[in-house]
Amino acid sequence: MARVKLTNVKKIYQGNVTAVHDFNLDIADKEFIVFVGPSGCGKSTTLRMVAGLEDISEGTVEIDGEVVNDLQPKDRHISMVFQNYALYPHLTVFENMAFPLRLLRHPKMSNDEIYRRVTEAAEVLGITQFLNRKPKALSGGQRQRVAIGRAMVKNCKVFLMDEPLSNLDAKLRNQMRAEIILLRKKINTTFIYVTHDQTEAMTLGDRIVIMKDGFIMQVGSPSQVFDKPDNLFVAEFIGAPKMNIAKTNLVKEGGKYYVTPFGSKILVDGEKGAELKKRGYESQEIILGFRPEHTVLSNKAEGACHATITVNEMMGSELHLHVVTDDGSPVIIRVPTIQLTDKEREEMVAGKEIYFTFEGKVMHFFNPETEVSLFYDAPAPVEEKPE
Amino acid sequence: MSEELNQVVVEQVPVQKPKKEKRHMGIKAKRIISNTFVYILLVIMSIIWLAPFVCIVLQSFRCESTWMTGYIIPKQWGFDNYVRLFTKTKFPRWFLNTTIISIATAALQLIIILCMSYTLSRLRFKGRKALMNAMLVLGLFPGILGMIILYRILADLHLTQQNAIPGLILVYTASSGMGYYVSKGFFDTLPKSLDEAARVDGANRAQVLFKVILPLSKPIIIYTLLTSFMGPWGDFVFARYVSFGHSDGMNVAVGLQNMLGSAASINANYTTFCAGGVIVAIPITILFMCLQKYYVEGVTGGAVKG
Amino acid sequence: MKQYTDLEYLKLSGPEKFANRFSRFFFGIPRALLKFLKAIGRFFANIGRKIANVFVNIYRTFANGDWKTRVSYFVMGFGNLSRGQILRGLLFLIFQIIFIVYMAVWGWKWLSQMGSLGVMGPEEIYDEVYDTYTTIYHDNSFKILLYSVLTLFFIVGFIVTWYFNIEQNRIAEQIIGSSQRKALRISCKKEIKLLKNEYKTVLKAKEPDPNELAQYKEKENDIKARYQAEIEAVPVKKLKSGKDDMRSLVDDQFHKTLLALPLLGILIFTVMPIIFMILVAFTNYDGAHNGYSNNLFHWVGWDNFNTMLNWQTGNKAYSAAFGEILSWTLMWSVFATFTCYFLGMFVAILINKKGIKLKKLWRTILILTIAIPQFISLLYVSKLFADKGIVLTYLQKWFHVPETFSFYGPNASAWTARITVIVINIWIGIPYLMLMATGILMNIPEDLYESAKIDGANVFQQYVKITLPYIMFITGPYLLTSFIGNMNNFNVIFLLTGGAPTNASASAASGSVGYTDLLITWLFKITTGANSEYYMASVIGILIFVVTAFIAMIVYNVMPSTKNEEDFQ
Repeated sequence: MARVKLTNVKKIYQGNVTAVHDFNLDIADKEFIVFVGPSGCGKSTTLRMVAGLEDISEGTVEIDGEVVNDLQPKDRHISMVFQNYALYPHLTVFENMAFPLRLLRHPKMSNDEIYRRVTEAAEVLGITQFLNRKPKALSGGQRQRVAIGRAMVKNCKVFLMDEPLSNLDAKLRNQMRAEIILLRKKINTTFIYVTHDQTEAMTLGDRIVIMKDGFIMQVGSPSQVFDKPDNLFVAEFIGAPKMNIAKTNLVKEGGKYYVTPFGSKILVDGEKGAELKKRGYESQEIILGFRPEHTVLSNKAEGACHATITVNEMMGSELHLHVVTDDGSPVIIRVPTIQLTDKEREEMVAGKEIYFTFEGKVMHFFNPETEVSLFYDAPAPVEEKPE
Repeated sequence: MSEELNQVVVEQVPVQKPKKEKRHMGIKAKRIISNTFVYILLVIMSIIWLAPFVCIVLQSFRCESTWMTGYIIPKQWGFDNYVRLFTKTKFPRWFLNTTIISIATAALQLIIILCMSYTLSRLRFKGRKALMNAMLVLGLFPGILGMIILYRILADLHLTQQNAIPGLILVYTASSGMGYYVSKGFFDTLPKSLDEAARVDGANRAQVLFKVILPLSKPIIIYTLLTSFMGPWGDFVFARYVSFGHSDGMNVAVGLQNMLGSAASINANYTTFCAGGVIVAIPITILFMCLQKYYVEGVTGGAVKG
Repeated sequence: MKQYTDLEYLKLSGPEKFANRFSRFFFGIPRALLKFLKAIGRFFANIGRKIANVFVNIYRTFANGDWKTRVSYFVMGFGNLSRGQILRGLLFLIFQIIFIVYMAVWGWKWLSQMGSLGVMGPEEIYDEVYDTYTTIYHDNSFKILLYSVLTLFFIVGFIVTWYFNIEQNRIAEQIIGSSQRKALRISCKKEIKLLKNEYKTVLKAKEPDPNELAQYKEKENDIKARYQAEIEAVPVKKLKSGKDDMRSLVDDQFHKTLLALPLLGILIFTVMPIIFMILVAFTNYDGAHNGYSNNLFHWVGWDNFNTMLNWQTGNKAYSAAFGEILSWTLMWSVFATFTCYFLGMFVAILINKKGIKLKKLWRTILILTIAIPQFISLLYVSKLFADKGIVLTYLQKWFHVPETFSFYGPNASAWTARITVIVINIWIGIPYLMLMATGILMNIPEDLYESAKIDGANVFQQYVKITLPYIMFITGPYLLTSFIGNMNNFNVIFLLTGGAPTNASASAASGSVGYTDLLITWLFKITTGANSEYYMASVIGILIFVVTAFIAMIVYNVMPSTKNEEDFQ
């Protein structure tokens, strides 16, 4: 239960490779924060710096008001769940979970108390019947629970999780994700959770920190980063299937604003158009982004985009159509299955030509050079302090 | 195009069928022939590898003569050589010496090698790479070179001749840190996250070593104990130098080698040497065979790691 | 050599590819050499830079440090003691006292004699009372050399510790913030000075304008207040106490605890002897000049190397013997390494062949050779093949081998002896290689074979295309260590043949050189021989090092598996 504050944290490896640039973040008490980003973006490194497993090259990390830069991991009052679980193979599940408690000094914990805590945690996680087994005899999901249990038994200030679900199969992952949400309510402490999976980030986090190449791209609640991405990277990273992107121009016709991607002409929502004009983007090239779920199949009509299907992915409740527009750009269209008749669905095969359009209200616009959103006043993402 | 392809496939199928069966038979016959060939080779090899050991055992029971002979099977069987070994030579003393040296060396080398390899494998500190490189370069100097000076230092400490046992233990263990490679290779294979998990759980690095890594290191501990235990039984360069002709300070290797030192000595002691060889070989071989599994693991692991 | 791009290379036919790779390997050697020399150059440049840094550091720490730091330059540990780090301070101080006492009482004496290695040997004095000659011993060259090396070690150790002591002060000042505060105070003074310069006319005027003066005062106070605030804001952290130090020795400084003992052992029992023996190579230390009881020994410069290597002016017996033994040593290493390697692998493949039963039995039979101490098996086998040994007797009886034939008796021909040794070494080496190859064979992922089968490879092709490259790749580094090990394979040669048969052409050199002698056994023979020419042994030792280092360096730079470690993982 503690506030975690990272100020100007940097990680520079030998040979001047900078893994994390100037990381600033204030994590509130009992907040569930998720670091998300592609592999190599520095999210794990940041977490490990909080844990004390990596040296902090510059800046400070504070836990509960105390600068912990020079503290050993054992003195930071943290718990951590590792990607590969890191269970001690020579100890039983019970001893694995008791391990952190047995190491406590001043005061030493009594055996009864250790027993009580471990069995309690095992009860919560549903692993009581495995307590006397070695980790080798457990399945992946059970090992995961043991790892979480081991982190749970100690009274920690911060609970760190480094891609805890990425070694599980898809079904188990969904189940564990739900359990982590429940668990969080029980443990009620500050969580830092690292993942590369945007679904996990969206479903778990109070706030999400999206990182790329060692820089923070955006910090915000799941709805913020989904609805108002600060930049192209965040827009493309969050949401599945990913956002469609097109270079286009903003055109004014008869007092209304239009964008003209793929030779089409689509009305921009009035306010947004005015806003864009105010910011001076009229008849300039901009990047347009629209999500697959906001596209609509349409008839041949003025303003609709013409495209050819290349791949048809049947997801059950919905259909993901990968299409190529006339100018060769790939676009993904999401169509709820319920909207199509059986015949229509069968017709959606590679090579079929279709028309689609999309909603003017939910379009995103980005500066083609800086890739920063044109609406939401965000600081430029790539900005290095002059040394 | 696709029609053509279909035709080809259709045509091929009936042709292939009988051919396949024929080849199947061929494979079986071939395998039997090649396996027989392999068995013959293996039997010949086994004979070659076992022959010297069979010979040495047979000759140790020969009573009619003590010198080298041109035949293998003794004409007169008996334990004379063993009796002579234990009564007329200082073999019991040598055996005891070697046992003491081996046990002490095994224990001390284990500690030193574990310290060294664990540190170089799992701890990161300034100068680690430089240290390993320095070790590599030092390893290129022939070890025998230092013998003269080591002898003089030991002599100054009065650890030679009849006091050779502590002297030899010191020599064997002191620079054993150089032989950390196999052990380091083992530690490298343990996942790093185990250490990290333990440190987050509240262990300092010493506790990580004693509570997590050591319990997992049984194979390499046994391997190290085994190899360092066996070392002194075969070493004879240093042992000869340090004991310097003093028969109380010799180990079995030096003592037995001395029996074959000159032509006269060979004539008098050849069969006794065989008996001594058998006595030494039996316990070591039994020990080795019991712990074979760990030795094999060490050898293969070491090779893979280079 | 033609340079190909990757795609062009792929278009070449098999032999062309091989030729290209072959030539690339040999053309690679000079480049590897160059690279190595460059690396050495960089290494020394780096060291030079580091040493320069050290001096700059020493100067700056003194110039910027407070008085406690400055006193520490003369009294080690003073800074630590005065800042409350009692444990560290005491250790430094005690070390310095020990060093000074040692140098004063013994050290200088040894060092002052190092140049001469002693001037007065033993002398015989006539004792009138007992009417005998008694020998009185004076200087001892060996001890002088040994203890001056130790003293030099100690001095280096002291200098390092002294520098460490100074670094401690610098770091301590930074932690408690005194150096930052001092820097602030200095820049405060500078700024006030500038201000004074600005108001020079006002301040120097006999009757300064009160307005201007007040303005000046205000500005001065501003500056002072600003710096005061900054000085107070400098964080003051606590220095590590002795208790912290002890605790960190089992935590973040754990490597020091663990390495202390092993490294001390290596320093005294490996590094020191090597340095000593390198020095001996430049003296005339031998049985007749043992430095104590007969004659003193002294420095002779490069004479010994000249004797060993120079064909024109040196002792031809030595240079001839050296050339012969070196070439045999290299031949031996190549053959011993590769015969064991390929045959061992072959045996492993035989035993692991599908359908072969009793695998464990075959393996165990071979392993016996590893289990039984080498001196027994080697000595016994050496007698089996000796003149009048069992093997020869039976050969003569059954195959009518001429009586004069001998494997490695005194009358054997050089090459019979050498080939015999290599063959017997195969007997020794195969089991070890077999074990290793077996382990690797078991580790080859089964799916590699499965996919090869689907691609249409037969058993033989699977071996050639998958098994062999896999093993070769993994054991590449092992080949190098094994090669170097064989160059110094004392046991096999010494126990089998003892170097026999004698090489008459080289016998003028010390140590009764034989045709199967390796450099290492020659070295041993010289030290234990009649003249005990230690200096020659040292020269040989150094030359062995040079040769092995040279080979290791080239192989390491040219060998592919040291570069693409991940290929098969």
